[in-house]
Amino acid sequence: MSAITTEVPPFERASSTERVLECEELRVGYDGHALLPGVAFSLHTSQLWAIVGDNGSGKTTLLKTLLGLQSPLSGELRWQERDRVGYVPQRARLDLSAPARVIDVVRGGVDRGWSFLNPFHINKHREAIAQAMRDTNTEQLAEQMFSHLSEGQKQRVLMARALASEPSVLVLDEPTSAMDMQAEHDVFTLLDRLRHVRQIAIMLVSHHLPVVAEFATHVLLLDRECDMVLAGPIEKIASEHRCRARYGRILQEGIERRNAHLCSLDDGHDHIHGHDHDHDHDHDYDHGHDHTHSHDCGHDHHHAHSHSHSNEEEE
Amino acid sequence: MEGDDSQVSADEFEALANALEEDEAETSGDGSGAEAPEPSPDASAPDATQPEHAGTPELSHGHDLTHHHDHGAELLSGDPGFVDPEMSLSTFFNSWDLFGDSAMAGAVAGGLLGFLGVYVVLRRMVFLSAALSQTASLGIVVAFFLQISLGVGFISPLLGALIATFTAIVALTLGVSQDRRDSMLGFVFLLGASGTILLGTRIVQEIQDVQTLLFGTAVAVVPGDFKLLTGIAAVIGALHLAGWRGFVAVVFDSEDARVRGLPTRVIELTLLMTIALAVSVSTRVLGAMPTFAFSVLPGMAALRIARNIQRALWLATILGAIAGFTGYLFAFLFELPVGASQAFVALACIPFAEVVHRIKIALAKSP
Repeated sequence: MSAITTEVPPFERASSTERVLECEELRVGYDGHALLPGVAFSLHTSQLWAIVGDNGSGKTTLLKTLLGLQSPLSGELRWQERDRVGYVPQRARLDLSAPARVIDVVRGGVDRGWSFLNPFHINKHREAIAQAMRDTNTEQLAEQMFSHLSEGQKQRVLMARALASEPSVLVLDEPTSAMDMQAEHDVFTLLDRLRHVRQIAIMLVSHHLPVVAEFATHVLLLDRECDMVLAGPIEKIASEHRCRARYGRILQEGIERRNAHLCSLDDGHDHIHGHDHDHDHDHDYDHGHDHTHSHDCGHDHHHAHSHSHSNEEEE
Repeated sequence: MEGDDSQVSADEFEALANALEEDEAETSGDGSGAEAPEPSPDASAPDATQPEHAGTPELSHGHDLTHHHDHGAELLSGDPGFVDPEMSLSTFFNSWDLFGDSAMAGAVAGGLLGFLGVYVVLRRMVFLSAALSQTASLGIVVAFFLQISLGVGFISPLLGALIATFTAIVALTLGVSQDRRDSMLGFVFLLGASGTILLGTRIVQEIQDVQTLLFGTAVAVVPGDFKLLTGIAAVIGALHLAGWRGFVAVVFDSEDARVRGLPTRVIELTLLMTIALAVSVSTRVLGAMPTFAFSVLPGMAALRIARNIQRALWLATILGAIAGFTGYLFAFLFELPVGASQAFVALACIPFAEVVHRIKIALAKSP
């Protein structure tokens, strides 16, 4: 049995309590017209926030405002100065007529600011690129054309691109759209693992409440019909009376599924641990999972144990 | 595209015509039987008195005509519809100092525009060169109009063209989202075209100068223009080599580039400015048709074959340069209009790329 890898990836790690983003009464919309009531929340490292809501509820508008792609109508939005945001756009928005191999796409994510003028910048980040590809299990796709990949593979490549610049926050716009359930589950499993291994904060937009409830630590629930925005830990939102009627059951089921799953993992702890070792020695991305064992069957347990090899399969 | 590569400036043409008359008088005097060439059958040529065959060297270089008269007479002797390729090829290279600048201008413009054309195609701006030509026309017409009607003389026609072109570029970069840029190109094109015609009715005598100022001729590139083109190509090439990762990032996914803090506006503006500069200079030196062809076709072909944008950039540069040079050479060998010949060779890049693409697929599928 191989020993588990415990080395820390060569990027700076934040403490688990560090705040990366804070919003206060942030209003978003177009042409002076607010789509939503004021939004207030704080994003910390190692949290996974899901922005959920119906079509047209303002999820992507909020995300673009948070990313600085669009100006807020009012309110405050504060990123920490040293924050580095990695962005994974909707795949449908990318122009696939531009030829690119997977390795080209990932390398393309390294530059920040004016670093593109430095011809040696990519050389300095070779290890970060390799690590990003290992973390997303895309190494074997390196020479393939990006446009020829399956949706799940494309998503992993775009994540690798975002990770190549060693971000402290990963922001994803509908990462599982046009995916089947298994592929969707794999993507969330991967995100959950990245959140723990790299201790980065993750914020994503999703339509799919059941899988969100299973993996997210926090939810930003947008409901234009009720002119309501709820933000907070997922258990708290699930029990919120304004949410219960419409979303409560789905969220609660997801939470229960996760808790049941984690309890079963703890019951078979020794066996699973050993099992992981067999699979993980080839992949650095599961290192550091030890800290999850200190959790009880609570909500912040990550899923690397049981799904660590699910992404190895070619889609 | 009016005023395509059959245009020569008035002074150049006068010098060429005088030299030709003297030349013909000498030839008929010694009884060699050499005949003047047939006028170009090219329908796009606005003036049949300005033939544009590369194989009629007396038209190509009035500045050096007498020195190379023997080669020209050799080419023009016998059946005008038949030229011995081998002999003409050797003639072409033996007369390099006569044809070299023009042929190399085609190669340089083809290479430069081929390179930039990758971005033009990827950004869905294939009508940029056409729109910019019309905008420049409007700038010149406005400058003439200001001079004649209002007595405002400090804006020269070329300055007017530059101001109009760069205003259009800034508007396209800063004022319009990428999604609307294609339709905005149509707006710019029509504004330039209709504005030129409308204002042209007020400056009837000067309207011919607009064409002369804007559109060069690929058949007769004067050394000054060749140096200008080469210098511009070197500057633009250096700029793009230094910042290629930024240009590629913005073209591939500008939203992601913005999130990563890349100066996307500066990069976009630089990209469009360099394209505008290359298109303007190439149009001035070679004419509109080869410029349009070089700015679209090699890029299209390269993007079909290459496995990433970097390789597409190099491939398009090579294809464009080959099209520019061989287009001129074919025009010389077969007495064709140079601009059309260069455009036609550039067109051939597309089926070539398709064949290569299909071969690559077949090879990839084979065990």
